[in-house]
Formats: sequence, structure tokens, C-alpha cells
Amino acid sequence: MISGAAPKKLDRRIVIKAAVAGGVAQLAAPFVLTARAADTVKIGLDNPLTGTFAALGKNELIGAQLAVDQMNAKGGNLGRQVELLVEDSTSGDTATAVQKALKLIDRDKVDFLIGNINSALAQAMANTSNQKGVFHIVPGGHTDTVTGSQCHWNVFRVCNTTRMETNSVSKLLLEGYGKKWYFITTDYAFGHSLQDGFEASLKQANGTKLGADFTPLGTTDFSANLIKAQSVGPDAIILLLAGDDMINCLKQAVQFGLNKKFHIAGAQQELEVNEGLPPDALFGDWVFEWYWKQPGVPHVEQFVADIRKRSGGKVPTARTWFGHAAMWSCQLAAEKAKSLEPIKLAKAMQGLVLPPEVALMPNNPYYRIGDNQLMPTLFVGQSQPAPAGGDPEDLFKVSQLVKGDEAALPVDQTGCKMEWPS
Amino acid sequence: MTQLLLFNVFNGLIIGAFYALMALGLSLILNLSGVINFAHGGFLAIGGYLAYTLIPYLGFWGALLVSPFLVAFIGIVIERVLIRRLYGRDPLYSLLLTFGLAFMIEDGTRFIWGAQSLPYQIPGWLAAPLSSEYFFLTGYRVFMMILVAAAVLGLFLILNHTRLGLRIRAGTLDLETVSVLGVNVRVLRNLNFGLGIYLAGLAGVLAVGMLGLEPTIGDNLIMPSFIAIIVGGLGSLPGTLAGGLLIGVASGVTSVFFPSASEAVIYVMMAAVLIVRPRGLLGEEGRF
Repeated sequence: MISGAAPKKLDRRIVIKAAVAGGVAQLAAPFVLTARAADTVKIGLDNPLTGTFAALGKNELIGAQLAVDQMNAKGGNLGRQVELLVEDSTSGDTATAVQKALKLIDRDKVDFLIGNINSALAQAMANTSNQKGVFHIVPGGHTDTVTGSQCHWNVFRVCNTTRMETNSVSKLLLEGYGKKWYFITTDYAFGHSLQDGFEASLKQANGTKLGADFTPLGTTDFSANLIKAQSVGPDAIILLLAGDDMINCLKQAVQFGLNKKFHIAGAQQELEVNEGLPPDALFGDWVFEWYWKQPGVPHVEQFVADIRKRSGGKVPTARTWFGHAAMWSCQLAAEKAKSLEPIKLAKAMQGLVLPPEVALMPNNPYYRIGDNQLMPTLFVGQSQPAPAGGDPEDLFKVSQLVKGDEAALPVDQTGCKMEWPS
Repeated sequence: MTQLLLFNVFNGLIIGAFYALMALGLSLILNLSGVINFAHGGFLAIGGYLAYTLIPYLGFWGALLVSPFLVAFIGIVIERVLIRRLYGRDPLYSLLLTFGLAFMIEDGTRFIWGAQSLPYQIPGWLAAPLSSEYFFLTGYRVFMMILVAAAVLGLFLILNHTRLGLRIRAGTLDLETVSVLGVNVRVLRNLNFGLGIYLAGLAGVLAVGMLGLEPTIGDNLIMPSFIAIIVGGLGSLPGTLAGGLLIGVASGVTSVFFPSASEAVIYVMMAAVLIVRPRGLLGEEGRF
């Protein structure tokens, strides 16, 4: 027999097991630990560094690292140096995200927990941090329940609720493009919440939902959904997708020529997505949660310059701002409470107004009493190809600034019933 | 409704052809070397990234032509350095190796090109529908179909009308006898691996024309490719082709009625085939 010529028995069962393992592999991911030091204020960041949301997670991390360096340069938190402990939550595995959160809480004894980008993971982490009584900030997980029906006294959120996003842009869409909409929505908590918000706006305006396709997260081919949308002749095709799903769908919509037949729009759009699109796919009305080009707004230029130094010249995105604002919120709450005790921190955080160097936007954003939701400014506008001779990352034109508390539901309609520990 | 269904059947065939292209590469390697190549999606990603990198120097067409060959070369080197050592061992070894390799490639692309999606621009005349009525027939999709058909035809010509192809086919049936007859089995496996990876590279270059170019681009495409092999039948390249087309159509048609089940349906198909006809539609009985 020749050496190594014939493979050992390979049967169908092995191939099937391998395919199953391939599916499971999507859940596996390395973890990251930073160096540990004693007698520091510890902030644990449990966010995706691998998978679908890796790019967003890395931008939040860059913003968080800048904030930590700024805080330490100013003497730290309550006189102690701040230490950032980073864990990879994965992009979609709830069990891993919770396990990493527990590791940060039980083993590393963090004073603050930050995370997650994925809505489902954010909610699971919030429930865990509440059981453990740890102060927790959700930087970028949008589903409404985090500061709604499943709100907790210890959990605050920097990014907007999905309802704030849909309310901020729906008037523009209804008045500008018509009342017959077709939805293509990502099939998880984030997409469902967004669609609920838009449907409420449609109902209020006596509009019509012509159809809705829920697509699995990670869908590569949207042609069947786009064919269906085209067949019912909507006024607008509303894309409620995220990350690479949004890129895939927009590229395919352009190739089908649908952007020339219908208005294509949505709620949340991100600079990370726009940077992954070719120029002809940069169109439509969207909401940005923060934008780097804000002439005349104090401290924004300095923030952009600081981030450019850390990210190979790239400008900060909303995600970078989320990470930065979340870290600084921990510092501000501790300074106001003069303590790291979670209940005191939470009490101090309610109603806290972000100072201009942290807010980096107009209208004095603040954490609302009653649901712990930050009330920032929303940037409504249109995606655009980079202007000739301009900055290649200037891919959005802000046409309207909407105050967070004007877009948000009143606290009594959010479903949040906050219970404080006795 | 009939028109909508027909649209989706045709569209499913287009997507299925793409799955088939990936699955054929996987199948080639599996049949001759017994390696379940989990890194196939990673090679696809490399194909896309290389094309993106080469476009400024070679243009769209140059990058399309050169990138798959570069990916095939990388595949040949990896086979020579890593995979070859595991032939003859339990298939689990190569499975674990390619599994780890997939992570290394993903993180490698992330390190070199960044985690964020990159904009990949195809020529304007390709990025448009050919008619307003049959708008899903875009220039790019038709081009992709033609290229996939040419690649499949080329593969079958190589396998049926060249000495290399004859040896690959013979080796698939009985590698030991082929070796005894004087064929250098090491070189044969090496070239066969390169051929399979070439198809992955080609699939990668084609994929980035309609999908976002990011490090995990291969992840979502690898599972349908495995399923195409299982549905079509292990050991059968025509079966793999048929399996790819079938799952593409099934997914497209399901999207009309139950969009959220468009992914699940291909797994249901796989389960049904395994229950009713475990060797797959065109798989040879007793071969696996």
C-alpha cells in the first residue's frame, strides 16, 4: 500500500457531522483579555469582536479606549486609574455573551459592565447584570425592551430605541413618498422592533403595509424578497436590516434597478455600512445616531482628530461615539455619586446631562428618569456618494436634527416598570 | 402569483448555480482526497479580497482572471505544507485542520483588510437589469451564469478529456491502483486540491459583485454548498451540480410564501433526502 494514498473510511455520517460542526462553529470565537492591575476601577466591555458585528464592535472599542486614556490622563475615576477589560461576546451567541458577562462580574469584579451591540445579547446581558446588581450600560443594542418592558434600575442605554429611530424619520417618509410600504426586515429582535415602530406610524397616518418579509440574519441573497416587493408596487421599500445584510440588499436592489422605480429608505443606517457600498448604492433616507461632520458643534473636531490618530485616519462613527459616551457616562455617574456602589450610581445617572465634550452633539443629551434611556439628537438625512474633492468618508447628508425626547415614546408608554432593590 | 413563482424559480436557478460552483470545488477535494474542506469559504473570501486589491492595477477583468489563479496557488501551497501530512489518517484530523484554517483565514483577512466591509464596484453596464419586465435578470447575474456555466463545462472537459482529469476520476474510484500504475499520487492530489480551490476563488470574485466584501463572506455560503453535496449525492459531481440548483430553487420559491423559512428549507430538504434516499439524488450506492 502506498503511504497515505487511501484515506481512512469517510462516510456520509462524517460529512453530515462536519456540516453540523460547521454550523456550531459560527458560535465559537476567541476571547480577549487585557492585562489586569490591582486597585483600579474596572470597566468590562462584553461586545462582538468577531462575526457579523465585528466591525461595529471594534469601533465601539476604539471609542472606549480613547475615553479610558482621557480619563486616566485627568486622574482616573475617583482618584483611581481606570482599567478596561475586553471580552468577545461573539456576534450572535447569547450563551457566550452571558458567560463572558458573568466572568467579568464574578471573576474580574468589574465595577461597570458595558455591552452589547446585538439586541438579543444586550437584553440577556441586562437581565444577568440585574440579577447580579451590577451597573450596566448598553452602548449599541437597540431593541426597545432594554429600556422598555424589560427595563432594570441598573441598566442604562446610550443608543436610541428603535421607536425613536422610526418616529424621527417616518414623518419625512410619509409626507415625501406616500403611504404604501413594503418591509424587508431582519428576523430578530432589532428588526421586529423597528417594524413595529413603523407600522404604528403607518397606522396613525392611515397608511398601508403592502407586505413584509422577515429574512434570517446573515441572508446573502435578497432577490426573492425584492422580486416580491416589486410585484406589489409600493410607494416605498423599507429596509430594516443591519450590517452586511443591508449591504447585500442595497447592492442587489441597485442591480435590479429598483432604486429608480421606488423610494428605498429605512430607519437606522451606519457609516460602516455606507463605507462598504459602491457609490451607486449610496442613496435613500435614513437615520444616523451620530455623525462626524457637525460644523460649529463644540469638541467634535477634536474628537474626530483624536479618533483618526487611533484608527488609521478613519473618522469616528456612531459606534465610536457610543463606546466613548458609555465609558464617560460611567465616570460622570461615579463623580456625581461619589461612589462606585451600583444603586448610588444608578440614582446619580438618572437625569444626568452629558457635558459638551462627551455629548458631541447639539441639544444637551440626558439620561431620562423613569426608563434610563439617553435622549440624544437624531441625525435624519440621505446617504450620498463622497462629494468630489471632499472627504471620502462624507457619505451622509444631514437634513434634519430631531431631539431624542421628541422622538421617544413617553415613559408611561414604554412599558418600563422599574423596580428598585429594597 | 404564477409570474412571481416563475421569476423566483429562474432566480433560484441563478443562485443555485453559484452554490453549485462552490460545492463542485468542495466535492472535487472530498472525492479524491477525503478532505472535508471547512476552509473553502475562507478561500472564497481570499478570492474576493485579492480581486478588490488587484482592480486598481489590472482593472475588473484582469482581477477576475488573475485572482482565482492566485487563490489556487495559495491552496496548492497549503495542501503541500499542511494538508498532505494528514492523508491516510482519520478524516477527523483534516476536518479539524481545515476548521482551524478557516478561522486563521478569517482573522488574517480581518488583519490585512480590516473588519469593515469594502466597496467593490462592478462595471456600470453589468450593474443594471437587462429589461424592465424581467428586472431580476441583471447584466451581472447573466454574466455570472455564463461564467459559472463555462467553469462547469471546463471542469467536465478537464475531467473527461485530459490525462489529469482521467487520473482524478480514476483516483476517485481507486487511488491505490492508480498509484500502482505509476501515477504520482501526491502531485495528483495537489493539483486536484488547486483545481477545487480555483473554483472557490472564482466563486469569491463573483460573489463580491453582489454581496458585501467582508471577512465572513464565505461563512454564509459554505453551508448551502455542503448541503448541495449531500442532497446531490457524495461522490457525484453531476449530483453536486443538481443539488446546488435544487436548493437554490427551493430557497427562492419558499421566499414567496414563507420568507423567514427560506434558509431553513434547504436543511429540511437535506433531512428529507437523507431519510428517503440516504446516498443523495445521484450518489453511488455503497460508495460512501
